[in-house]
Amino acid sequence: MTQYAALIYGADNDWTQPQYADTTAEYAAFAEAAGAVIRGGAALYPTSTATSVRVKAKGGTPLTTDGPYAETKEALTGFYLLECADLDEAVRVAATIPAAWDGVVEVRPVIEFPM
Amino acid sequence: MSTVPSGASSLAPEDAHRALAEIVRVAGRDVLATLARWTGNLALAEDAVQDASLRALQTWPRDGIPDSPVAWLRTTARRRAVDLIRREAARRPKEALALGPLTDAVLPEEDPGPEVVEDDLLRLVFTCCHPSLAPETRVALALRTLCGLSTEEVARALLVSEPTMAKRLTRARQKIRVAGIPYRVPSAQDLPERWDTVLATTYLVFNEGYAATAGPELTRPALVAEALRLTRLLQRLRPQDPGSTGLLALILLQDSRRAARTDAAGGAVLLADQDRTRWDHTAIAEAVPLVGEGLRLSPAHPDPYVVQSAIAACHALAPSWDETDWAAIESWYEVLLRVDDGPVVRLNHAVAVAEARGPQQGLDLVDAIEGLREYPLWHATRAALLRRLDRTDEAAAADDLARNLPLNAVQRDLLDR
Repeated sequence: MTQYAALIYGADNDWTQPQYADTTAEYAAFAEAAGAVIRGGAALYPTSTATSVRVKAKGGTPLTTDGPYAETKEALTGFYLLECADLDEAVRVAATIPAAWDGVVEVRPVIEFPM
Repeated sequence: MSTVPSGASSLAPEDAHRALAEIVRVAGRDVLATLARWTGNLALAEDAVQDASLRALQTWPRDGIPDSPVAWLRTTARRRAVDLIRREAARRPKEALALGPLTDAVLPEEDPGPEVVEDDLLRLVFTCCHPSLAPETRVALALRTLCGLSTEEVARALLVSEPTMAKRLTRARQKIRVAGIPYRVPSAQDLPERWDTVLATTYLVFNEGYAATAGPELTRPALVAEALRLTRLLQRLRPQDPGSTGLLALILLQDSRRAARTDAAGGAVLLADQDRTRWDHTAIAEAVPLVGEGLRLSPAHPDPYVVQSAIAACHALAPSWDETDWAAIESWYEVLLRVDDGPVVRLNHAVAVAEARGPQQGLDLVDAIEGLREYPLWHATRAALLRRLDRTDEAAAADDLARNLPLNAVQRDLLDR
C-alpha cells in the first residue's frame, strides 16, 4: 500500500468564513465517500498566514520571510504535519527538512474544524 | 479617584485634552501588553484596550483622572475582553469549544506588578517584530501596538490609505494568532538575532520619517518622534544592551540636524552647508554620553549602531564641515566595515577618505564598490569627486545617472541644483 498526499490548489480563501460552508460540506461529503482510502489531510489557512524558511547550509540559522514561496520554479510537492508549541519551534523543525537547503519549506497553520 | 482632573485642571482645554490623551496612550500600551498575554489574542486585546481608552477619554474629564490610570484602564479593558469572549462564545459555540483556553472567560483578577508589565512589553516587542512578519508589517504593528497610534494615524504616518492599513494590520494579527507567533522573550540562543530584528524595525520607523522615500517632504517629524519613543522604550527594557543604547544615540544625533536640513523653501541642505547653530544641542548633549556608554557595553566587538552613533557624534561636535575631524571619522568607518561591511558603508567610508586624504583616494574607493549602480547617491558622490578633480564631462554624466534613479522630491531637487 502506498499513501498519497492530495494537495489542493484553488482560491486563496479563509475557509473558516461562513460563506464557504457549501464548499466545506462538499469536502466533507468527499471525505465520507472516500473514507476507506483517506489516511490524513488538512485544510490550510490563507497564504497571508504563511512563513517561508530557508538555511544557507545544513545546520544553519533559519532565514524567514513573510508569506508563501511564490516563485514558479518550485511547486508544492508534499507536506508533513507537525505539532509544535509555536511558530518558533515549527521554524526550527522545518529548517531540518532537506527541502530547506534544497528549495524552501512553507510553514502554514492548519485549521482545526470543530467535530 | 480624585474629583478634578489632577494636574490637568490648570491647563487650557486643548492642552488638557492632549495631556489626557498622552496618559491614556502610554497607560493603554502597558495594559495592551498584559492583556495580550492574558487572552493570547492580540486583536481581541487591542479591541478591549481601544474601548477602555475611549471610555477614559469620555469619563476622565468629568470624573477626574484616577489615581492609577493603568489600573483603571486594565480593569475596564479586562471587563471588555471578557464581554467580547463571552459574546463570541455565544455566537459560535462549536468554534469556541474547539479553540479551548482562548475562549475561557477566566482572566486573572489581580493586577500584575510593574516588573511583570515590563516583561509583558518586552514580549509584545518580540511578537510585533517577529522575523516571520514582513518588515513593513513589523513597522505598522510597532506603531499601532508599541507606540499606541490609531490605525488611521499609522496609515497617515506611512502614507497608505486607512482601509489598506486596516487590512494589513488585521492580517498581521490573524497570522500572529493562527500561525502561533509566540508571545515571549526568545531563548538565549535566538535572542541576539531576534533583538537585531527589533532594532532594525525601529530604525526603519525612524528612517521612514527621517529620509522618507515617498511623498513630497524630506522628513516626517511625527514618525521620527515615534521612533524615538520606541527606542527609549527598548533601551529602558534592556538597559545593558549596546544596540538599543547606540540606536538611541544615533537617532538623537541624526534627528538633531532636522531644523537645519531644509531651507525656508523646504529644499534639502547638505551637511556641509548646514547652519550648525540650528542643530538641536539638547539632543546632542543627551546623545554623546550614550555613545560612550554604548562603547563601554560592547568593547571588544563594537555594536554597529554604536559605531554609527560615534561617527554621527564626530559630525555633531565639529564646529564646521572644514573643521571636522575626518581622520577620526575615517577610522570609525574602518571599525564599521569590520563589524558591518556593506556597499553603503563602503561609500560613506570613501567620502570620509576623500575629505581626510583627497578626492582621488576617495574616488578610487568609490569606483571599487560593487552593487551600487542603482543607488543614486553612488553616482552623485562620483559626480562630486569628479568635479573636484576637474573631470567635468564625466561629472555631468554621473549626475545624469543619479537623477534618473528614484528619490523623493526634495532629494531630487538637491541633485538638480
